[in-house]
Amino acid sequence: MKNNKKHFANVFIAFLLLGMVSSCSDDFLDEELTTQRSTEYFTTEEGIQSLITGAYYKVLASPFPSEQQFATTNYGADEFHVGGDDTNSPWNNYDGRFNSIIITTRTQAQEPWDNFYAGIAMTNQAIEAIETIDSNNDAIKRTALGEAHFLRAYNYLKLVRQYGGVPIKTTVSTTVELEFTRATAEEVLAFVIEDFTKAYNLLDNGVIFPAQISKDAAAHYLAKAYLTRTSEINDSWNESTKSADLEAVVRLSDEVIANHPLAANYQELWDFTEPDGDNEFLPELILSAQFSRDRSLVTSNFSTVPFTARYDDLPTMKRDLTGMRPYSRLAATYFTYDVFDKVNDSRFWKVFRTKHRVNRGGTFEGVDYTAGEDLGIMYIINSPDDDRFDLTINNNNPDILYNGKTIPHVYVAHAADGVGLLPNPRFPSLSKHFDSSRSSINDNRGLRDEILARSAETYLMAAEAKIRMGAYSDALSYINAVRNRGAYKNGEDRSFYTDGAEAYPTSEFTQPIEDNSYIKENSYYESNSIPVSTDATDLTITGTASLPAEDEAVFAILGVSGEYDRMLNLVLNERTRELCGEWHRWEDLSRTLTLVDRAKAYNPEAAPNIKEHHVLRPIPQTFLDGIYKDGVTLTPAEKAAMQNPGY
Amino acid sequence: MKKSNHTKFKEAFLLCFLFLSVGLFAQEKSISGVISDGTGMPLPGVNVVINGTTNGTGADFDGNYSITASEGQTLVFTSIGYKTKEVLIGSSNTYNVSMEEDSALLDEVVVVGYGTTKKSDVTGAIVSVTADDINSRPVNNAIEAMQGKAAGVDISSNERPGSIGNITIRGVRSLSASNAPLYVLDGIPLISGGIENINPTDIESIDILKDASATAIYGSRGANGVVIVTTKRGKTGRFTLSYNSAITTQTLNEAAPQFNAGEFVEYRRWAKYYENPDTFPRGDQPTIANDEAIFSGDDTAFNNILRGWESGSWDGSKLITTDFTDFVTRTGFTNQHTLSASGGSEKMKAYGSFGYINNTGSVIGQSYERYNAAVSVEITPTDWLTFGGNLNSSYSTQEYGQSTSGNVGVSAQSGLYQSARSIFQYTLPFDSDGNRIDFPGGDIAVKTIIDEDLYSQDQRVTLRAFGSFYAQLDFGAFGSTLKGLKFRTNFGPDIETYRNGSFLDGQSVIRTGSSYAALRKRQRLSYTLDNLLLYNRTFGRHDVGATLLQSQTQFIEESNFMAADNIPFASQKWNALSADNVALSRYDSDLIEQQLLSYMARLNYGFDNKYLLTVSGRYDGASQLAEGNKGAFFPSAALGWSIDKEKFLVDSNWIDQLKLRVGVGVTGNAAIKPYSTQGGLYPLFYPIGSTGVSGVQLVTDDSDEKILANQDLGWEKTTQYNYGLDFSFFSGRVAGGLDYYNSETTDLLLRQAIPSITGYVNTFANVGETKSSGIDLTLNTVNVRTEDFQWSSDISASWQENEIVTLANGKEDDIVNNWFIGESLGVIYGYESDGIWQESDAAEIAQFNANGHTFSPGNARPVDQNGDFVIDANNDRVIVGSTIPKYILGLTNTFKYKDLELSVFLFGRFGYTYNTGGEGLVGRYNSRKVDYYTPNNTNAEYQKPIYSAGFGDTYFGTLGYRSGSFIKVRNISLGYNLPQKITNDIGLSKLRFYVQAQNPGFIFSKVDWIDLDVTRPANNDAGYSLGNSASNRGFTVGMNVEF
Repeated sequence: MKNNKKHFANVFIAFLLLGMVSSCSDDFLDEELTTQRSTEYFTTEEGIQSLITGAYYKVLASPFPSEQQFATTNYGADEFHVGGDDTNSPWNNYDGRFNSIIITTRTQAQEPWDNFYAGIAMTNQAIEAIETIDSNNDAIKRTALGEAHFLRAYNYLKLVRQYGGVPIKTTVSTTVELEFTRATAEEVLAFVIEDFTKAYNLLDNGVIFPAQISKDAAAHYLAKAYLTRTSEINDSWNESTKSADLEAVVRLSDEVIANHPLAANYQELWDFTEPDGDNEFLPELILSAQFSRDRSLVTSNFSTVPFTARYDDLPTMKRDLTGMRPYSRLAATYFTYDVFDKVNDSRFWKVFRTKHRVNRGGTFEGVDYTAGEDLGIMYIINSPDDDRFDLTINNNNPDILYNGKTIPHVYVAHAADGVGLLPNPRFPSLSKHFDSSRSSINDNRGLRDEILARSAETYLMAAEAKIRMGAYSDALSYINAVRNRGAYKNGEDRSFYTDGAEAYPTSEFTQPIEDNSYIKENSYYESNSIPVSTDATDLTITGTASLPAEDEAVFAILGVSGEYDRMLNLVLNERTRELCGEWHRWEDLSRTLTLVDRAKAYNPEAAPNIKEHHVLRPIPQTFLDGIYKDGVTLTPAEKAAMQNPGY
Repeated sequence: MKKSNHTKFKEAFLLCFLFLSVGLFAQEKSISGVISDGTGMPLPGVNVVINGTTNGTGADFDGNYSITASEGQTLVFTSIGYKTKEVLIGSSNTYNVSMEEDSALLDEVVVVGYGTTKKSDVTGAIVSVTADDINSRPVNNAIEAMQGKAAGVDISSNERPGSIGNITIRGVRSLSASNAPLYVLDGIPLISGGIENINPTDIESIDILKDASATAIYGSRGANGVVIVTTKRGKTGRFTLSYNSAITTQTLNEAAPQFNAGEFVEYRRWAKYYENPDTFPRGDQPTIANDEAIFSGDDTAFNNILRGWESGSWDGSKLITTDFTDFVTRTGFTNQHTLSASGGSEKMKAYGSFGYINNTGSVIGQSYERYNAAVSVEITPTDWLTFGGNLNSSYSTQEYGQSTSGNVGVSAQSGLYQSARSIFQYTLPFDSDGNRIDFPGGDIAVKTIIDEDLYSQDQRVTLRAFGSFYAQLDFGAFGSTLKGLKFRTNFGPDIETYRNGSFLDGQSVIRTGSSYAALRKRQRLSYTLDNLLLYNRTFGRHDVGATLLQSQTQFIEESNFMAADNIPFASQKWNALSADNVALSRYDSDLIEQQLLSYMARLNYGFDNKYLLTVSGRYDGASQLAEGNKGAFFPSAALGWSIDKEKFLVDSNWIDQLKLRVGVGVTGNAAIKPYSTQGGLYPLFYPIGSTGVSGVQLVTDDSDEKILANQDLGWEKTTQYNYGLDFSFFSGRVAGGLDYYNSETTDLLLRQAIPSITGYVNTFANVGETKSSGIDLTLNTVNVRTEDFQWSSDISASWQENEIVTLANGKEDDIVNNWFIGESLGVIYGYESDGIWQESDAAEIAQFNANGHTFSPGNARPVDQNGDFVIDANNDRVIVGSTIPKYILGLTNTFKYKDLELSVFLFGRFGYTYNTGGEGLVGRYNSRKVDYYTPNNTNAEYQKPIYSAGFGDTYFGTLGYRSGSFIKVRNISLGYNLPQKITNDIGLSKLRFYVQAQNPGFIFSKVDWIDLDVTRPANNDAGYSLGNSASNRGFTVGMNVEF
């Protein structure tokens, strides 16, 4: 009996011990990441190309799903002010909330900074991998390397234009690094030019324009970097490089312009009817951030919403897919309204939405309105000396009729009551980024590409370089090329209007047609009060002495005089007329040191607060607090010294 | 016939589980009697043995026994849980015996991890919660059962049915790694938590190991304390059937009323005025035209405002006030039922139970339903082998209510109740035609919640099964030399399947026209396999024990997710996400694996029951740490000295127990996510034209994934010293334990913000060293004791404080991460408040404004620390306070009068700063009713309102720092035990009724508009389902029946 017991016990123990031994094999604790690739991937050509694709997204497209893009480029300048919604307004207002810590629920001080460097880290990784890999493949050693240099320079150019000198980081980080200091703007710009030059030398134009980075894109941005270096903000140190830089701008611009003819009609640029449609591949386009319908793509474009005025809360109106989601962050200023020759220049009427159809209907102040039929909202953007209107806000005004019927809501830019459009969340919305292919009324995720560079801007960069060289008539020929593309063509219906709302049939969301507040008309004739005409117009400027009246009015307000300043301000005005709302403005005004004067003159919320130091952004406090010098954190005095002056 | 059958049956039954005690019948005489417990209740299964013989018997179910013995012999009555009783047989043939419960805490058994020990032999700081404590009030889960019962254990409440509160043991140490303790269920450490799935009625005891000398045997997972939950077992000799039932009603109690209709209108007028005094009239000089301008967009609401103008001048009280929370709240009911049976013989013990709980929350759309089944069997087929298994399973359905899943709303709140609170009270839910007004007040950011229960659903179904199976070999059966040596294998599988389906109609408050459905499924499989060699033996006055362990744990999680917009029709919910039906907007699947390999040895030595020594060492290897840093060793040692057993005290008539404990141990923490050292890449597609091209990113826009993979990541280690005193005086009138501890944590594992120049904004790093110390006091006193009346108090109090000693770069403060040398881990660093700017400060305001500020009277005023008339981040931010409570108090007073028992449970936290966030007062949104600045009310609590869609006042946040101290009455309970006579008559052994009031109110709170109990203090992560101002208040009626 006892023996039997022992026998069983021995078997039992042997069994357990066996389990014990077999279970603790050596690799039990190995951690295998099977669902993600590791940085080992970058030792392969495929990995390098994947990283470049990721960097395309990070550098070119990722600013667009947030409020960072407009906050850093459109707010706080002369073209736009805070619309009905001030959620992200510190970036416009320069008030007590705008400092190294920005008091906002949206774009924090460190957000753009962190994002720029996240993109730079990817390009550093790519460049290191390409330099390490043993390959003779041009796709890697030329194209991928060129793209990496381009994307790195692109972000450093953004950084230097926003912050001035910043830390230059060109290596890959694998452990915590804490010691950083700012390079000078001169060093950063030299680095940017070096990187863009490498890209220019490595890349060619055998690409899908404007989706892929090309030699022309490198040329355009290299010109922009040179132009930035010659700008007023760098005048304390840029004397020695100035004339060579300006010549380079012209040379590079000419090269780009030759390959990228302007679209015949300004309208074509904004005639978005479906994601990845024809207008996203116009020859004029040099580079754009790509967005597309496929839901597996991480990309989405938020830009459809911040420029949209409130329309949905008005009687007879409701929110709809074609009306966009009204974030009302940005409303045009009177600079923008008045800088256009609104009779002869088609560009204002092609990118600002001035009419909304009734889409809810119902009775408003005793008048019945029918959805899908009557006009609901009209903006009359008239000339400052138009004396036809007593009131800015006209509800059911019997003197303003559409097809013989009153209009529930009419807003007049210049009326005798002097109220104006600035205090009201009602304004003509800039429609350049509009997109009705989104999946529902309130879906912020736009599918439309964002133009980053097009040759009209290249023309104006060349023009600016020529002005800086004193070659004014050369400059005018570049400017006139852009202006005359914006003039009316013979036979053109000047009241015709279209924008990205036209893409609504491609949305997976459907709404009854009478719900569309979008209407293919503008208020050209109501605003200008001229007889219907289909004649061509001409916007040619013949000489520096006879600049357009709109520009002269701006010069008068800004106190601009002298041929050079008049011409420089002319090109800045022309940039608004051509490029308004295209993510350049704040940087153009800050680098030319025209920001403070222009914001004071035209931006009502910025005017009381803006000071000289606001031409550079505050260095984020998270950076100042986080870095070390010689193994210790910075003292308050050292932080203050590292901060841009005035913050 | 019948009767004899019955008797036969009974005898057979008795034989079955008490056959060992059935011996030879002596000749003398037959003795019989009834055995009862202290309350007079019959006690079944008591062993009756004639002293000095092997002759014995057992009592039947009714406590009757009979035995043959002769005069002069002594009967010995023994039963687990009762004091042994001896009766000398005289001339009588009947001896009714009353067994006295062995109530002395001293011999309670305490689970110490990989074994049990007598409480008197414990050398570490351990606090136990018994089944009686748990059953004293109905709780939804084990976590609630511990609330306030254990010193040093801080548990917050959660108001959402089926969701649990947050638990920390001896304070927060790590703000980014997990602070959750390790849960051990029936000996199996749970790698993924989930203790809330256990039916609390099935719990026999909860033992909480607090100090490192106790937790070190769990090594790497012991740093945050260990909670050992032991479920009920069958007991030899006692067969019981019990039924517990309770019904609870709950209503929502709101601590922060909002502006009513008239007050809000006046508040927004002021906000508009202060936004632009040139455009808008003063708030106290209203005009209809101005109201029309600032309250546009909702005619029904504006007509309500016009009621205030009916008399020609403004009268805010004439408006209809609509509290939209009325539409989303209800009286919640909780039904709980548990039926359990248990019993056992020497060879086999079993316990089984079914449990059911149904909790409909006080917010519409929230509910929780759970079925539990538990079974436990232990078989001892031979004297050398014991085999057993426990299975605890649960199936629960949580209707989460509105969540933020699928949210595209403009200004969605975190839950339905908060959404309802965000709707202006001057608006009406329906227009004159009776249609729902989608945007009451005409603001796109404020959507109605009317009918939301029809439009949103978030359903979470969890099936969880915990197993614990073991086989134990007793070598003692093979020979006396091997006595005390045992080998044991534990196998603990843990299976969870989880399904979360959500559906939102386009009408939902958090949707904007298009519908949405999502389905997430997750399966977790983990197991623990332990091999243990145990040795326990007494040699004279020497008690020797040894435990050797080899253990491995593996965890595998597979999950998948899919979501789509524009679901064709609502009844499809999340159940028809097919390619034929709808295009998916998102989908993913994932796999996570994690392993732990351990070896442990523990030695116990006791001399004369007076001097006790425990030494242990554990080696753990964790897969998620970096290569080369995976393994670590965690030693511990503890000494106990039972002073009361020393000669000089043994005769003391007032000291029952006095024991000194000293312990030291090292514990670790590797509570970081798997793959944190791997630097995985994030895939994406980027379109080139319309073609998606595959790419990778180093980080994504998700802030959790901007992490630099730290390839040096190693163990965090905490060395803790614990000094404890257990005492019991005056026959248990005063008893308790006092512990002082101090600990040092090195290589603190934290998420650290790093300069983004590297491309990353965070990393996990071993950042430095902290120390903490604290005192835990448990005190049970019987204040008054008379024949019919008793008043006793149970106090659990703790004090703790921690500070950072060094950081990665030595004695350098790390502002970005909010870490300061010499300060607590959870400090608030920012601008201090100097109240509100007043008109009389005009000169100073001018000096500040000359430096770029935009201050005006009525603005919040921060302190200019260096007096340079500039508020700047470099010079004026200071440490405002610590968010970690220094003192935590739980106090239960129990009053017993005859069969009635009343207990009152108080809970409080003290000595910390709570950041209420200030009041934005932007006029656009609904607001709590606050005392705000106007020219007529300059001595206000808060700044002047400034209309904005973002932030109005720049420094309003400075007005939000408050002391967070409070004392709250969490529970008042009144119970009634039916007298024995009555229960006997109706054939029950126990019947108890009780009523309770839950959460009746605060005794005091420094922040009276926030329920700080439902708010986690350390990170202000408030809210759960109700925001931070509301909590449930309820009443329970319940009963316990035992047959």
